[in-house]
Amino acid sequence: MADDKDVLRDVWYGRIPACFTLHQDEVTEREAEPYYLLLPRVSYLTLVTDKVKKHFLKVMRAEDVEEMWFEYEGTPLKWHYPIGVLFDLHGSNSILPWSITVHFKNFPERDLLHCLSNSVIEAHFMSSIKEADALKHKSQVVNDMQKKDHKQLWMGLQNDKFDQFWAINRKLMEYSTEDGGFRYIPFRIYQTTGERPFIQKLFRPLSAEGAVHTLGDLLREMYPAAVPQEGEEKRLLVVIHGIEPLLETPVQWLSEHLSHPDNFLHICVVPTPSD
Amino acid sequence: CLDIFSAEMSCLHLDEDSFFECCQHLLKKSEELRDGWSWETVQVRLRMQCKCTHVCKDDDADEGAVEINCPAAEGGSHLCFQFEFHVVFSSSYRTPVLYFRAFSLGKSLSLEDVWSFIQPKLRLTSQDALLNTITQQEHPLLGQAFFMLHPCKTQDFMRPVLQTAQQENRAVNYVLTWLSVVAPLVGLDVPLEYCSDLRPGSKPD
Repeated sequence: MADDKDVLRDVWYGRIPACFTLHQDEVTEREAEPYYLLLPRVSYLTLVTDKVKKHFLKVMRAEDVEEMWFEYEGTPLKWHYPIGVLFDLHGSNSILPWSITVHFKNFPERDLLHCLSNSVIEAHFMSSIKEADALKHKSQVVNDMQKKDHKQLWMGLQNDKFDQFWAINRKLMEYSTEDGGFRYIPFRIYQTTGERPFIQKLFRPLSAEGAVHTLGDLLREMYPAAVPQEGEEKRLLVVIHGIEPLLETPVQWLSEHLSHPDNFLHICVVPTPSD
Repeated sequence: CLDIFSAEMSCLHLDEDSFFECCQHLLKKSEELRDGWSWETVQVRLRMQCKCTHVCKDDDADEGAVEINCPAAEGGSHLCFQFEFHVVFSSSYRTPVLYFRAFSLGKSLSLEDVWSFIQPKLRLTSQDALLNTITQQEHPLLGQAFFMLHPCKTQDFMRPVLQTAQQENRAVNYVLTWLSVVAPLVGLDVPLEYCSDLRPGSKPD
């Protein structure tokens, strides 16, 4: 369907305006101006912030500079989550532009993964794609691909080339009509509370009887509190790419259209804003 | 008890229940050997974790540590690292996955340090190959930074072991067999005693 193809483009070109400010404890030689950037939702912070780094390094001495990392209102931002997920999870109540604090020292070793080169991001991205394909096709599609296909997926993301990426990614989205969907849906449900960072389990797109599983079915099984009972006030929002999809939406459709380039459907469950 | 193991072998995969069974058996043995494995439950998911298994050469304190030649250490000296190993079940790959981290005097082991002691064992030459084998990852239950041995090849090296065992009608503890392959790569010792009394159903000595 033509309409559905547009969804892929809309998801790919989703942007979040952000304002980067240097943390007050960083030592500078002169005042550091904030830096504004439009962040692609489907990319990674460390992949798109070379300019931010350059901007702040201009006012800092080399000996004061260690690995750059980001924080929003006291929470270190995990670069290995897609930017859109970080925003939906931590920043969706914030006014725009999203205000991100930049650090060059005291790297939070426990909470953040080091990211000293783009090859680390590439390895992380490819390992997510492989895991997703293990769930969708028992790894058959990703293993049948050539090395250059893997490279093309990565280069497509790195250089923000929708067509380049999707020329290969569509193979990862295929399934036979008799199956009616993937083997399992690669998804993760994030929450800001709770000791575990996310929920990830096996979930099939169809029930044993062949009925289509919806987003509501997924949540009722994995995160019942996110689905309000009848007559109950809605306390939690279920957000994917900044929107609240209808709970009746089939998970197979969501997986094909609203997954991130890493092939996972990232679902954020956040409290309803209280004004 | 044996049924679980044959059922698990017939599909050459591990499911969460078999993982639990295998770990329980391993833990029983560990209790005898006192080498530090324990079972922890994080909400409904489970992980087996082991803190310290090796004893540093110069220091025979109770708390074990692994001495490694750490290029990052000042003057190229040896540092004693305290290792923490976790075995976590991956439902995506249906295999166990090894996570670990290591500290020494507040300094944590870097990926480059890890590579420097793993590289000779795996004979990997390119950085790409290393990045596909071992990287820093978020611990799926703790949300903290750990190193992870990538599970995508686990089934490949487990398959021949399981198939042979199946032909010979022999029970295999998937987790133990797997651990005996991956543990030496990261300097974790799995004593031979684990391999006696393999059958979870058999009587203790």
